[in-house]
Amino acid sequence: MTGMAQAQLALRDVTVSFGGFVAVDRLDLAVNRGELRCLIGPNGAGKTTTLDLICGRARISSGAIVFDGTEIHQLSEFEIARTGIGRKFQVPSVFRELSVRDNLEIGSSRQHGVLHNLGRFGGAADRERLERLAELVGLSDDLGKQAAQLSHGQTQWLEIALILAQDPPLILMDEPTAGMTAHETGKTAELFNTLRGKHTLIVVEHDMGFVRDIAETISVMHQGRLLAQGTADEVSDDPQVREAYLGSGGIGHA
Amino acid sequence: MSNKPILQLLIYGAVCLALLLIPAFVDDAFLLNKFARYLIFGMLAVALSLSWGYAGILNLGQATTFGLGSYCMAMALKLKTVPIHTGAEGLPDFMVWNNVTELPWLWWPFQSLPFAVAAGILVPAAFAALLGWFMFGGRVAGVYSAIITLAAMVVVNLIIVDQQSYTGGFNGITDLARFEVLGISFDAYARSTYLLVAACLTVALFAALAVTRSKTGLILQAIRDQEERVRFFGYDVARYKTFVFAASAAIAGLAGMLYTIVMEFASPTFLGVPLSLSIVIWVAVGGRQSLLGAMLGALLVTGVQGSLSESETFLSTWTLVMGGLFVLIVLFMPRGLAGIVSGLRRRGTARKAAAQQSGSVGATGAPAGRTA
Repeated sequence: MTGMAQAQLALRDVTVSFGGFVAVDRLDLAVNRGELRCLIGPNGAGKTTTLDLICGRARISSGAIVFDGTEIHQLSEFEIARTGIGRKFQVPSVFRELSVRDNLEIGSSRQHGVLHNLGRFGGAADRERLERLAELVGLSDDLGKQAAQLSHGQTQWLEIALILAQDPPLILMDEPTAGMTAHETGKTAELFNTLRGKHTLIVVEHDMGFVRDIAETISVMHQGRLLAQGTADEVSDDPQVREAYLGSGGIGHA
Repeated sequence: MSNKPILQLLIYGAVCLALLLIPAFVDDAFLLNKFARYLIFGMLAVALSLSWGYAGILNLGQATTFGLGSYCMAMALKLKTVPIHTGAEGLPDFMVWNNVTELPWLWWPFQSLPFAVAAGILVPAAFAALLGWFMFGGRVAGVYSAIITLAAMVVVNLIIVDQQSYTGGFNGITDLARFEVLGISFDAYARSTYLLVAACLTVALFAALAVTRSKTGLILQAIRDQEERVRFFGYDVARYKTFVFAASAAIAGLAGMLYTIVMEFASPTFLGVPLSLSIVIWVAVGGRQSLLGAMLGALLVTGVQGSLSESETFLSTWTLVMGGLFVLIVLFMPRGLAGIVSGLRRRGTARKAAAQQSGSVGATGAPAGRTA
């Protein structure tokens, strides 16, 4: 059992309902600093909603979300981001009209102020770091390209690179490998393993092969609740988990 | 957006220089006055391009801030008129007709010309900042914010018309003194006035260019693209939008002040729907995502409009011709005239890139599985 006291992120008794539908139901979740946590569960289990609640895209109905010792659930989205939380969305969301380089420049958001950024031209200070990031995700040759012209897998990687440019202590990843080829998924797993320890990661994922490649601890959600938590083997042997996935072909095909 | 900042600076500089040199070739006072008016419209187009083209905020009430600037200048120049044009004790004539006995407190500071010039920029900017703060803080966006800007303009216009004893009401403020700075007198039909307008346009254009090329400008474009996404990087979107809305208003305010100098009066029609919609048309024609394009769009449309309305053939049909042209451009050139130029350039660089790529096949270290 992870100690709640030293957890970097803690969801305490969190509930959210949208017009009577309870999407997340008295959820307790604690993630330690530097941990790579996978969040899985059948469709509609409340995984994406949980990420939305952490980053402020949706508001909790009751409970509390604590990050680094401060309650963040009442802050607005940009304030939550400034406490050090980055989010990758399920549908890759980058700035399609802008070039890859400009996208990365926007991701690099340590300075948020209007006036401060008014005096910054060309991004010279950040250039090398951003070019290294582009290299890391295989977009070095496409820095001048408009983001709209990238393939789906490349767009996913660009958004991952944006989050790395932002460099937040906690990263929320919603289905980072959706739509990627097997090769691309393998590269992504490699990348995530290098992030382990430097960042805290919470990854929502359907691809169990990918989850097995990266996860230490897996949290299984079902109908808005935390159903089970443990290693990949522990979780897939859990009778409750098997039951939850019944009819969908088992956990490996969720 | 151009990726070659030096080239862009050169083009902008060349255009501004050409505008500044026009008086060397044109000696007709009437023409210079007309050109000065066109340049002021160009400034308005730059202002709208900044908020609409770069941040996606469609301002249907750009003329509000234009009018506020215009009135600031008119108030100062009215107070400078020779006593014969004013009533007793230095009161503007229309106040005397309205039985006002002493100068209202709102008018007091406008006895100082430097104050009036500062106010002509800061009052519109503050007005826009306040309106923007409510709109963008409350996350009103898209067509709803456009409607609010339109409604705000109607309100300000009604207040000006209604407060006749303080604003001159429907007649506006007329019979103004000449604008004089450092011993130079800016007669509406003089070369000096044209040069003043062209210089202000140059400054406004380059200031706007600096904003768009800064990181703040980049973030504004990201907001235009995907407002919600920007928040999750920690940027305060409302603050960014309010900033650009106010900056745009400041440019429009400056344009308004110049308009008063060139037209020799201020009128509530300056804060009208027709002017506001015209600005949208100029910017759409020129290309809203290019400051220079938008400005040239304004010069082109107002120029064509001017010559059509003065020619006998189109005397009664020129509005129809203009409307038809606008519809065609919006339908077939969504990025305006500037879009054609950047489209040609992109095609050129794409061809160059393709030529380079075919020369280095097999040497790509890019990740496999690319399905561009």
